[in-house]
Amino acid sequence: MVLVTAVRDYLSRMLQDISGMKVLILDSHTVSIVSVAYSQSELLQKEVFLVELVDSISKSRESMSHLKAVYFLAPTSENIQFLRRHLVSPRFGEYHLFFSNILKDTQIHILADSDEHEVVQQLQEFYADFVATDPYHFTLNMPSNHMYMLPAVVDHSNLQRLCDRVVDGIAAVFLALKRRPVIRYQRTSDIAKRIAQETAKLMYQQESGLFDFRRTEISPLLLVIDRRDDPVTPLLNQWTYQAMVHELIGIQDNKVDLRNIGKFPKDQEEVVLSSEQDAFFKKNMYENFGDIGMNIKQLVDEFQQISKCNQNIQTIEDMAKFVDNYPEYRKMHGNVSKHVALVTEMSKLVEERKLMVVSQTEQELACNGGQVAAFEAVTNLLNNESVSDIDRLRLVMLYALRYEKESPVQLMQLFNKLSSKSPKYKPGLVQFLLKQAGVDKRTGDLYGNRDFLNIARNMARGLKGVENVYTQHQPLLFQTMESITKGRLRDVDYPFVGNHFQQGRPQEVVIFIVGGTTYEESRCVALQNAMNTGIRFILGGSVILNSKRFLKDLEEAQRIALRTEGKTYPINLEAKIYSSSHTLPPRRTGEKNHFFC
Amino acid sequence: MATRNRTLVFRKYRDALKSVRAPTSSYASPSTSSGGGPVIELVSTSLLNPNRNYAPLSTEDPGNSSRGALTVGLPPAWVDLSEEIAANVQRARVKMAELTKAHAKALMPSFGDGKEDQRLIESLTQEITNLIRKSEKTLQRLSAAGPFEDSNVRKNVQRSLATDLQTLSMDLRKKQSTYLRRLRQQTEGQDGDDLEMNLNGSTSRMDGDDLDDMVVQSVNELAQIMKDLAVLVIDQGTIVDRIDYNIQNVASTVDEGLKQLQKEKVRGRGNDSLGNECPGICIELKIHVLHGEGRFVFAKGSMLILPIFICRDFVLSFPRTRV
Repeated sequence: MVLVTAVRDYLSRMLQDISGMKVLILDSHTVSIVSVAYSQSELLQKEVFLVELVDSISKSRESMSHLKAVYFLAPTSENIQFLRRHLVSPRFGEYHLFFSNILKDTQIHILADSDEHEVVQQLQEFYADFVATDPYHFTLNMPSNHMYMLPAVVDHSNLQRLCDRVVDGIAAVFLALKRRPVIRYQRTSDIAKRIAQETAKLMYQQESGLFDFRRTEISPLLLVIDRRDDPVTPLLNQWTYQAMVHELIGIQDNKVDLRNIGKFPKDQEEVVLSSEQDAFFKKNMYENFGDIGMNIKQLVDEFQQISKCNQNIQTIEDMAKFVDNYPEYRKMHGNVSKHVALVTEMSKLVEERKLMVVSQTEQELACNGGQVAAFEAVTNLLNNESVSDIDRLRLVMLYALRYEKESPVQLMQLFNKLSSKSPKYKPGLVQFLLKQAGVDKRTGDLYGNRDFLNIARNMARGLKGVENVYTQHQPLLFQTMESITKGRLRDVDYPFVGNHFQQGRPQEVVIFIVGGTTYEESRCVALQNAMNTGIRFILGGSVILNSKRFLKDLEEAQRIALRTEGKTYPINLEAKIYSSSHTLPPRRTGEKNHFFC
Repeated sequence: MATRNRTLVFRKYRDALKSVRAPTSSYASPSTSSGGGPVIELVSTSLLNPNRNYAPLSTEDPGNSSRGALTVGLPPAWVDLSEEIAANVQRARVKMAELTKAHAKALMPSFGDGKEDQRLIESLTQEITNLIRKSEKTLQRLSAAGPFEDSNVRKNVQRSLATDLQTLSMDLRKKQSTYLRRLRQQTEGQDGDDLEMNLNGSTSRMDGDDLDDMVVQSVNELAQIMKDLAVLVIDQGTIVDRIDYNIQNVASTVDEGLKQLQKEKVRGRGNDSLGNECPGICIELKIHVLHGEGRFVFAKGSMLILPIFICRDFVLSFPRTRV
């Protein structure tokens, strides 16, 4: 409840002291923030009778001075410009301005200058600057997420913008929670380090007054890590409800758009999947596909029972009951049809793309050993005509990440086969991934084969057998959280910023993954929190990834990297790179060190 | 949750800048005064003017001068309607509280035949129903066409009030059914004392039919109201309840729905059928579901007029209705 409640509280406070009819004006950024936490009917209860976007308002000139305007915007320069125009020719009676993050003094100046009619009644900073999709999971919905993969020299200003946005988002989370954390970051990631340091600067120097909260015995922990330390999780196909819907169809701000995958009646084109509002979803969001199927069947049976009763109306009592329960019935009907539609669509996709077979191999690649078997399996699937291009790409990537160093010849064979089977495949993408997130780049023990303890654990798990071969994968995050819980997060891998230090275990931990989180990881966090170990984890990221988005970021980053380099990688160069065993490609003179972050 | 109030800083800047600012007056835009809001535009000629003085070149637009001291302006006329409805809803809520008390009192065992209690309950119920019905009719009037923004506000006000009305109706219905059920329980428990009671209370013996009629009437009312409001009330948790969805799809959906509702109303009037069978009441249920499934017809009209007298000691037997 934590994050969603925080945003709701901010919104309620914004609206509660303003009486009368109100209009709420948002920007494209705050619309997402507000929509996942507050519903339209709740706004109506607070007498907000109109919601508009700040950039669309300028088209109309209609004056509604009986309405009081409540603006909730991000403190960007575009918004300040829009506001200027609005203040100069005000349409509404009163103006109450709220910003989702820290305003610069110059911005306040500009606004003060334009408020000639003195319509502004208040100007406040309310730090709801993150999209709280689930109680312990937030995202920043960043558009140019791929920038994190590129070193600063490539595009300094855009990278700075990304860092600023991330720092602001993290700061807002802590302001909402009224805490100031101790900060650690993943050593091998430059961007994680940079973000950690800039956040520390903001919280402890630039705005230290704002963050000066009541100190508790043990400060909370902010851990900034890099997506590339665990590139496997976003590539895997998912089999638990929320993650699966996002992987196969796509969830944005807790909404699922079904229009692209088929014909649906008007009211089913877009549906809402929110654990706050949908009890069935809340119970089933972390369950695997088989169990969901059963639960939905049960739901449908229940619903059919009720419908049958409703159709068999004979006494006045029956009729009375029907009318009394009609709104509930209608709601249940909507809910049931939503879930049935989703599961049906996903079943279809699973069937079409032969995901049962593909995913089994994926899981083996991610979890168990056996390079030879893996190579065979991947080759077979590459040859299989019904496997889609994206699935082929994922398989090769997963294989490459795992067996990067073993048998380079076979790896090259896979690359060639991939290029030949998938015409749209951009050559060098897998290699780009390896450069970004290969074994030399990673801190964490992704495959459990570095640490003796992990190897033992894996063996034990293998002997025990897995409950469900499709959900055997545990994201690296699970290990990280375990280490934190046991107080064993290694300083050498995850150093503290500056002179921060923490004795003992923190009670609240915010983990921010630069590059994006996945729903599999948010599930992991939710289940961990449910175990009540005394530590509460919150997960956040720049976006919420699925394999499509992750691959898109990779492609985009590769495109920019190649453009910067000024030449494209010829295919035979790939062979050169991997023929020399275990060593990095020879540095050519003048070649900048682009891909080693 | 931390917040930071920058209003003081803002006001300080604003006051400082006000004194520094060159005297700006509003310039009446010569061609585009659309008779609307306080549009202030600098006359373009002043920019071309070489010596760049901003002294007023034309008379001030009279409408703008009143903007100096800012007050919340007068709302449009339809807001009166919405306020009327809101007042009715409030009144109805007060009466509901009274009704609850009356129900509780009527259920308590007492001497006397409790006729005043029943009359009070009946009159309160009737008043609340009337308030709801009146409000609902007024609500329909809110949805006339108008300028774009205003129509959005109007639609949202309608939805909010519709939700209130629906909740109110359902509350009423729930209270009634609880009351009737408790009443039934009471009287069933009193079967053994019938003889005694009959000595003084026989005149106000509740007829099974009357009870049915009352139930039917209340169910009728509720169904009618729900049918009318269904188009306006937002289903919580659905896509329609999302703010981002509403920003995109503003007035179109509700207009369509209302048009459909009008059509249904016209069609529905010709379809009333009422079969009077001896002890039973013939009822067909018709509810127009927004999604177009399930058709049940409510018999309207004549049911609403039956007076109802409730007595404590009666034996309830619900006659089966012939559908």
